[in-house]
Amino acid sequence: MPQVTFIEPSGNEVQIDVTNGWSLMQAATSNGVEGMEAECGGSCACATCHCYVEDHQDKLSPAAETELEMLENVASERRPNSRLACQIKMSNELAGMVVRLPATQV
Amino acid sequence: MFSFDPYSPAVDADPFPFYKTLRDEFPCFWSKEANMWVLSRYADIVTALNDWQTYSSAKGNLMTELPNRAGNTLGTTDPPRHDRLRGLIQHAFMRRNLESLGDPIRDIARQTAAPLADMKEFDFIADYSSKFTVRVLWAALGLPLGDEAVVREKAVMMVQSDPVTRSKGPEHLAAYNWMQEYASSVIAERRKNPQNDLISHFSTAEIDGDRLDEREVLLTTTTLIMAGVESLGGFMAMFALNMADQVEARRTCVANPELLADAIEESLRFNTSAQRFRRCLTRDVELHGQKMKEGDFVCLAYGSGNRDERQYPNPDSYDITRKPKGHLGFGGSVHACLGTSIARLSVKSAMEAFHAVVPEYRRLEERLPWMPSSTFRSPMRLVLART
Repeated sequence: MPQVTFIEPSGNEVQIDVTNGWSLMQAATSNGVEGMEAECGGSCACATCHCYVEDHQDKLSPAAETELEMLENVASERRPNSRLACQIKMSNELAGMVVRLPATQV
Repeated sequence: MFSFDPYSPAVDADPFPFYKTLRDEFPCFWSKEANMWVLSRYADIVTALNDWQTYSSAKGNLMTELPNRAGNTLGTTDPPRHDRLRGLIQHAFMRRNLESLGDPIRDIARQTAAPLADMKEFDFIADYSSKFTVRVLWAALGLPLGDEAVVREKAVMMVQSDPVTRSKGPEHLAAYNWMQEYASSVIAERRKNPQNDLISHFSTAEIDGDRLDEREVLLTTTTLIMAGVESLGGFMAMFALNMADQVEARRTCVANPELLADAIEESLRFNTSAQRFRRCLTRDVELHGQKMKEGDFVCLAYGSGNRDERQYPNPDSYDITRKPKGHLGFGGSVHACLGTSIARLSVKSAMEAFHAVVPEYRRLEERLPWMPSSTFRSPMRLVLART
């Protein structure tokens, strides 16, 4: 199973095995990773699964219109590598990915 | 021979022992009575929710679907069209945009709870939650006052099924048809005189020339009324049941109402009213040694995934300090409940106001009358007594 490293707001690094097809948000919430809220359950409606993608950017599908609109609502600083974790699905191509969680989601 | 019949009164009353057997012994189970596969483990349900291409909602998402509904509501449409349509209306349901409803909802809660001060015994549903949910929905959707009681009666009727025929009976279909006509008249009125409310917004909303068509506006409105009245009311009754039975947890919440938020999340995990939804396979899938076929229906038993010890240790223990992230009480992924924020706000406001008037209580009936529904689970009556 491919792995993702989440860097929690505290700086703590957590390595998670992620089932292919699961969103990064789902992987984080079901593994108790700190710093992920996901109030809307993964429907791209709340902007509280904000993350900074540290690498593998070229392997990601670009953000769709709804995600781009929602990214305008993130509570922490929006950066060029900001994405919503519920919109990124795990695949073997993303194995070893590093994702940093922002200071706050609300 | 093990069987799982989501139409049986036994499952209405207590599905959890059945779910345990499913998870442990038959994690991909063909239910003859439901005529579909049943997925009961958390991980398998999450995989299905994330894989809409395989587990499609386009053939209906209710366990016992209503006629002509599939394809005409958000919950029964797949991406990419689903995402565009949902994008048209979901801003109205986001937490940050519900700020203006906070005080009105708290006021409705206080006013609705006040008469309970003079009652020693009462039915939480008839005497409190049914009135509360309808008033909140009316405020949010902008529905005309005066219709509340009959609309509620129809909403509760349309989600039920006949346990013997395992399908919608004439009374359920009649209620559904009534609801569509009602929604239709309200939509027509709002188009003539648009207000600053939800129905006005999504009957006129447009992105790049893409709009909800007549059918979609109608069925989305019908679904919202059903959700706001029945789903919200159903969950509120489950939460009140938990607070009645879990004395320590209740006392903690009465002493510190801010903890109601955590208790609500635990109740959503422990016994959401949204127990089971379905999908339809677009290709063959082999799972746990079973060969599911393209075209087969698959039940996603959220209520079971939420009690899966592979995900939640000590799952049958009600613990308001658990903070169960990733629970399936509101479903998950693209179709996750649109009303999540308004539900959390409403239930917290309702119970806070209730506890201010009735801080100590117990339920009077050992056995509850459970609603006969293959999808939802809530009691039809919850008689409480002050203690």
